[in-house]
Amino acid sequence: MGKGSGEETIIAHGVRVEGDFQSGGSIVIEGEVSGSLKTEGDLRIGDAAVIRATVEAQNASISGEVQGNMNVHGRLELAGTAKITGDVEVEVLSIAPGATLNGKVTMNGTKAAE
Amino acid sequence: MYYYVYDEFVQGQKFERELALVETRLTDLGISGKIARLALFRDPGEFIRDAVAQGAKTVIAVGDDRTLRKVIDAVGDEDVVLGIIPMTKDNNAIADILGMPQGVTACDILSGRIVESLDIGVVSGHRFLHTAIIQTSPEMTVECEGQFKIYPPKKSTVEVRNMTFADALARAANPIDGKIEIVVRDGGHSVFRKKTPATLVPVTHAKIMTGGPTVDLSVDGELFEGEEFHVSVLPGRIKMITGKERKFS
Repeated sequence: MGKGSGEETIIAHGVRVEGDFQSGGSIVIEGEVSGSLKTEGDLRIGDAAVIRATVEAQNASISGEVQGNMNVHGRLELAGTAKITGDVEVEVLSIAPGATLNGKVTMNGTKAAE
Repeated sequence: MYYYVYDEFVQGQKFERELALVETRLTDLGISGKIARLALFRDPGEFIRDAVAQGAKTVIAVGDDRTLRKVIDAVGDEDVVLGIIPMTKDNNAIADILGMPQGVTACDILSGRIVESLDIGVVSGHRFLHTAIIQTSPEMTVECEGQFKIYPPKKSTVEVRNMTFADALARAANPIDGKIEIVVRDGGHSVFRKKTPATLVPVTHAKIMTGGPTVDLSVDGELFEGEEFHVSVLPGRIKMITGKERKFS
């Protein structure tokens, strides 16, 4: 039981969240989120997760589905199962074969791909 | 001045010898004090508040976690330090986390006076140190921080945790982080399906609505019921004597 251990938020499979979902720590999502999703920490979206929300995070690792614009200040990793529909603003982007990304990608404040 | 509150169950013959050892050790350590004995139909709040008004600065529950809960309720917002001498092996989750050993050995820990300010959870006016468990209903929602709502699965349990050990599906809840944790456990799994980790959301306040039916609420083991529960945390509100073996930092 360490200090700060309470900062990680977990949304498990089968659980639905609606509204402005914010956290100061990292977030792990295996369920569904709709509305907006914002964290000052890292975000991990599991392969069964469905996100219908605007997303803002420091770093993000995505294996599931995201419908909405994303703003990732650091690194964004898309696994082969990731499905993104929306514009993405990111510093560093990693895309595994099989991932789908439909939207405008902006890196380092410059339009990199469309 | 120390004030010791003996729970009703420790006043039987079974605990006579251990209590005598405790009292002797407390005297040896120079921390003996007045003793109050809980009894059926005797309101602990009344005499504990009287003791505090008369100068008691440290109130020690002698019994188990339920004894401590009675003392916490009775003390309210008074500026006193609380402690516990656990007398049994059962119902001692809080004592274990605080690093308080059972029986006479707890006296030396009390004498060491390592005092920590701990968070207290509140659910619909009832204070708790450990966990509040709410029976779920099919339409239950948990509104967190007035910003977002959690919809638990139908067969699930909802807990509000302040100070707990970790278990197989959820990490420990830390009583000094200024937050309580909403924990949703999916009870819909079968022996053929792998258990999923619990949903875990740290919050400062939340509103839990059953969507109609009256359900049971267990606050550190004490039962209540209701349709809507307001939960919040009072950060660092309670001062407790802890041992070096306490399970949080």
